[in-house]
Amino acid sequence: MNLLAFSDASSFETETPDIDDVRGVTEDVWASLLGEEEILLPRAVPPGTPFDKDDVWSSAVTISGAWQGAVTLEVDADAARQLTSQMLGIPNPEDAEESDVADAVGELVNMIGGNVKGMMPGPSTLSLPAVAAGRAAFSNDMHEACRLDVSWRGAPVRVCVHVPVASDD
Amino acid sequence: MRALIIDDSRAMRSILRKIVTQLGFETDEAGDGQEALDKMRAGLVPDLCLVDWNMPVMDGYTFITSVRDNPEWRDVTLMMVTTESEQRQIVRALAAGAHEYVIKPFTPEAIVQKLELLGLKAKFVTPDGAIA
Repeated sequence: MNLLAFSDASSFETETPDIDDVRGVTEDVWASLLGEEEILLPRAVPPGTPFDKDDVWSSAVTISGAWQGAVTLEVDADAARQLTSQMLGIPNPEDAEESDVADAVGELVNMIGGNVKGMMPGPSTLSLPAVAAGRAAFSNDMHEACRLDVSWRGAPVRVCVHVPVASDD
Repeated sequence: MRALIIDDSRAMRSILRKIVTQLGFETDEAGDGQEALDKMRAGLVPDLCLVDWNMPVMDGYTFITSVRDNPEWRDVTLMMVTTESEQRQIVRALAAGAHEYVIKPFTPEAIVQKLELLGLKAKFVTPDGAIA
C-alpha cells in the first residue's frame, strides 16, 4: 500500500474542489486518453463505503504549495488492464505487463491531479505519480474531501481528493 | 520531419506518437529531459520536441532552457504538452523558449492546430482540421 503524508499539515487553506469539476476533469481525461466513445457512468455509492473490489490498482499524486492535497485513482484490476491495452496499443489486455499498467494508471492520475491543481489556489507543485497494485492508504492527518464513483465498461472506478485535517492550533 | 516525444509515461508517448505519425513525422522518444538531451548530443536533431513538464531526472523546463542555451539547436521547435496549467508556469516556459503550450487533456485536433500555427504543416489533415 502507498502511505501518503504531509510533513506540515498545519498552515494551508482547506478549500476543496467541486465534485462536478472533478467529474468533468475525469471525463475529459478519459475521453482524451481512451477515446470519446469511452463513457464513464455514474455509480451511487453510500459515503464511507470502501472500494468494492479486492483486486485493484491505485495511483496517487500530491499537490504542495498554496493548496495542499492528494488525488487518488482506484481502478478494478481487469479494467486497469483493459485501459492499459487501449492506451498503449496492446491488442490483448492479458498481455499488459504490470509495468505497463502502472504507467497507464499513473498517467491517468497525473492528468486528473494536474487539472485539480489548476482549479485550486496556486502556486503549487504536483508530485510524480505513485502507483500500487492494491489500495492506497493515508496517514490520519488526511481526510477524503471529495469522492467520485463511476463505472467504466461495468467496472468500478473511484477518484478521490484528500486534504489534510485542519489543525486545532 | 522528425519529432522527439519526451514524456515519462509510455502511454502518453504512445498517444502522441500516433498523432504525429499520422501527420507524417518520424518519431523518437525519451523518458525524461536528460535522455532527450543525450540523444540530441549524440546527433539527433529533431524539427519538433513535444515536452512534458513533470518528469523524473530532468523536467521539461530544464530541458527547454538547455536546448535554448545551445545555438546549434536554435531551429528546434519546442512544444510543451503538460498538465501544468498555472499561468505563471506557462509564461515561464514560453519565456524560456517554448514556442507553444498544450495542456493535458488534449484532443488530436488541438495538437494539429498548434503545429499549423507553428508552420509545421501537417500532411494528412482534412480542411476542417480533423486528422484523416
